[in-house]
Amino acid sequence: MAAKTAVLMFLGWAFAAAAQTPPAPGPQTAAPPANAAGFVGSNVCRTCHADVSQSFYKNAHFKSVASGKEPPEKTGCEGCHGPGKAHVEARGGKTTIPHAFSLMTAKAALEDCLGCHAADFNRANIRRSEHTLHDVACISCHSIHHSTTPKFLLAKQQHEMCYGCHSTIRAQFEMPSKHRVNEGFMECSDCHNPHGSFAPTWRMGQRPRMVEQAVTNEEPCLKCHVDKRGPFVFEHAPVRVEGCETCHNPHGSMNAKLLKRPVVFTVCLECHNGSGSGLRGEGVPLQSSKHNMLDPKYQRCTTCHVRLHGSNADRYFLR
Amino acid sequence: MLTRLYLVFAIAAGAAAQQVVAPTPAQVGSPRGDNTGNYNITQSFELGYRWSIVGGDLGMYRSVDNFGNGIRLLGSNLTVNSRDGHGNLFDEILLNTMGLGNDPYESAMLRVQKNRLYRYDLMWRSQAYYNPGLTIAGSNALNGTPAIGSVGNSALFATGGLHVRDTQRRMQDHDLTLLPQSKVRFRLGYSRNVEDGPALSTVQLFDTNGPGLPVFADVKRQWNEYRLGADVDLAGFRFTVTRRWDFFKEDTPYHFAGLVGTTTLNDQTALKQYNRSEPIHGANPGWLGNLFTHRKLWGVNARLTYTAGSRDYILNETAFGTSQFGGAGNRQILVGGNANRPDLAGDFALSFYPTEKITVVNNTSIVSNRIDGASSFSDVQNGNDFGTTLFFRYLAIRTVSNTTDLQYRLSRVFGIYAQYGYSDRLIRRSEASADPLQFSQSYINDIYSVSNHMNTGRIGFRVRPWKPFTVNLDGEIGRSNFPLTPVSEKQYHSINGRAEYRTKRAQLSTSYRQMYNLNAPFVFSTYLSHDRQYSANASWAPRDAISFDASYTKMHLDTRGGIAFFTLNGARPSLSSQSPSYYTSNLHAANLGVRLSWRRRAELFAGYTITKDTGGAHGLPTTGVVQTLLTGVEAFPLTYQSPMGRVSVRITPKIRWNAGWQFYDYAEEVHLFGYNQNYRAHTGFTSVLWSF
Repeated sequence: MAAKTAVLMFLGWAFAAAAQTPPAPGPQTAAPPANAAGFVGSNVCRTCHADVSQSFYKNAHFKSVASGKEPPEKTGCEGCHGPGKAHVEARGGKTTIPHAFSLMTAKAALEDCLGCHAADFNRANIRRSEHTLHDVACISCHSIHHSTTPKFLLAKQQHEMCYGCHSTIRAQFEMPSKHRVNEGFMECSDCHNPHGSFAPTWRMGQRPRMVEQAVTNEEPCLKCHVDKRGPFVFEHAPVRVEGCETCHNPHGSMNAKLLKRPVVFTVCLECHNGSGSGLRGEGVPLQSSKHNMLDPKYQRCTTCHVRLHGSNADRYFLR
Repeated sequence: MLTRLYLVFAIAAGAAAQQVVAPTPAQVGSPRGDNTGNYNITQSFELGYRWSIVGGDLGMYRSVDNFGNGIRLLGSNLTVNSRDGHGNLFDEILLNTMGLGNDPYESAMLRVQKNRLYRYDLMWRSQAYYNPGLTIAGSNALNGTPAIGSVGNSALFATGGLHVRDTQRRMQDHDLTLLPQSKVRFRLGYSRNVEDGPALSTVQLFDTNGPGLPVFADVKRQWNEYRLGADVDLAGFRFTVTRRWDFFKEDTPYHFAGLVGTTTLNDQTALKQYNRSEPIHGANPGWLGNLFTHRKLWGVNARLTYTAGSRDYILNETAFGTSQFGGAGNRQILVGGNANRPDLAGDFALSFYPTEKITVVNNTSIVSNRIDGASSFSDVQNGNDFGTTLFFRYLAIRTVSNTTDLQYRLSRVFGIYAQYGYSDRLIRRSEASADPLQFSQSYINDIYSVSNHMNTGRIGFRVRPWKPFTVNLDGEIGRSNFPLTPVSEKQYHSINGRAEYRTKRAQLSTSYRQMYNLNAPFVFSTYLSHDRQYSANASWAPRDAISFDASYTKMHLDTRGGIAFFTLNGARPSLSSQSPSYYTSNLHAANLGVRLSWRRRAELFAGYTITKDTGGAHGLPTTGVVQTLLTGVEAFPLTYQSPMGRVSVRITPKIRWNAGWQFYDYAEEVHLFGYNQNYRAHTGFTSVLWSF
């Protein structure tokens, strides 16, 4: 009881502290004054950069200005670009801006953004992400001043942005059987974290390296395909051990149901051939000798093995 | 200047992939919006009529494209922003919708936030899709079972295996963050995923050698997740904790009333009545904790998650009809039990930045996944009780992996990176079954244990000789022992290369990717896979009024897999294992898009997409029925293409008229499934886009 009261009191205090609105500064007048460190305040920047500042109140970074509580090095234009005194005194010029992102290396731009955004949980792995390894930094995808998307300040619609580099993935989403990304139902970030992700909990824990697991520790496929999640008494082990991509191409396929092969029996029999280690160390079991593969009804394995992802009732996934 | 910049980005966005003809990406009204009091408002709405004319296989069209006829709110955008960041109840509202009004893909995104106090995000989406399995399973030629003549729920099905209603999936995610800019943040979330509509199953009837007969279901699945979490910043560390609860429920009924029988020679199996109830209820409560810090010379990122999964279920299945040899048959199966799967995953990443040029990250991960459950299976056939069997299963997977990444930026022009990884995985499994009536004859299998290790190494470099031009090249090699399946990675290597030239007006890029997985080269257990992908892209916007986008991708895949199966040789089955399974795919995919604009009064977009698999043959002679069977499925040449055009004309500064046409052509060269699935479809729309 005492613990609950303490929690409620803490929540009440936290709300009250946050709800204390600072004095209304008027439209875009909350920029801090110039100081000895060379900060001149965002109002000075407006003088020349009206095109950016006129609509900056729509920008997510305007929070730093509206707050009125942030130090100069974390407020408005100078929060990202650094103190503007030298730039003003030189009457412009990119080279006089301490942090001119168009002149900076990818690494330097990344470090600047991470100055505020590093601790966000979904960016916790950015230093080991594939994008960082390949010098793809924040400004490769985000347009801070001229974003065309309602959220996340992206330079383009998300999937179009990704297609710009990942054209082979684009081709897969244009196949007949695909996840509906081009149609607008999904986005790449439903399954991937472009800022890097934790080690996958399937396969051998090393790859793929940009697949989102979010709050759970499972493959992202299960976020939507919840019926495949189980647990099942009779798990189809490769689903759990090696992941869905053992049988499926997750982006798109020329074959139905995103399968890797056009007919299902080749998908099954390429594993069920007595080789590999299997779960007993003696190979993945062969199919039953009762199955005459020349009979068409045995060529569609999933017609009978209907609960192939896992079953509670039958060890052969028949129901 | 601002308007011009908006236009440049809008053009660039439109020139990229635009695979669905509607909604229109054009803008109406002032991009700056209108001021009302302390708020600025921008809004636009696109209302129109979408149409489609389909020739050929309607089921396949509904599986692949599925656009229908009707009035739609094709898209809408609304933004409300406080101009000083100090609104009364909110500082920002964002609302975007797409396809509302029965498009197969509908979505709505809402964000409402007040600086420092709260941020609320909603994502709602719905997808209507068609399950082609209904048609496939009803085919005589394919599996020896007949097409559906009559079914229990006529609202779901029409004749010929087609069903009149799509299966629907609706998802929604709500996230509320309290005090988003403070050092202590609270997060609440709710997600829901509901699936309902027709689906297919198959029933095995009165003896195990009999045919499988199709049974239809009206899927009813529901998943709800609740989240509660907080972030705390303290002494340079951020601690994140999230508690979540999710609940899964499936109450899909399987019914059949009518008559369906097999066409297999000398098999009189027929189903007259069938019912299956299989309620499954489960929960997956879990925890997540994360500790993060980033200092000048080092950083730590640690995560721990735990999910305790469980499911309870019961199955009651009754079937009445005629057995294989013509006698009356009935069967009842009762199953009950539960399954549990606690998952634990932990990561610990330690980063070092000894100099500005060097980053070293070492990551250790451990995953423990244990599944156990019991299932009680009772079988009564024609009044004879075949008893109850209790099955017990245990499957555990433990993986420990460690990777080290090194990046060394020698200069602005040149950098290298390398990685080494090691994984160790242990899989343990035990199986047991028991007959309570004859417990002495029960048996327990041994506990099986398989472990395997993988070592991987990668090295790469990037060069940027001048600012707009970048080249990346890396290679990776991996070796594993005792992989779980023959197709798992065992002896693989990959090469990735990319060159890119990017300016504000143009982007040129080309890439190459090679992934070879060369497992055991023995005939019986061979698996060889060669995957090569090439691509080239060009985007060019020489002026604000015109832009081009083109890409070409070639994807080659050939595999050779050892395959073993049984065929009936006279009265006895014989094992066939000498003919490997080949699969060859040579895919060519191309896009072309051109966008023209005339003084913002009119915009024209023309695009074309083609994906063509030319297949390929391994060139070996085809002799005998076994090789004929395998040769027939070693490639699947088909073409899927879609030209489109769209025009948008400004009527007034706040009203535009739009119209578009898109054609879909799906053409298989070989009908692997025994019947023709090809179709051609004209779709289009006309709409009005306006801003108040």
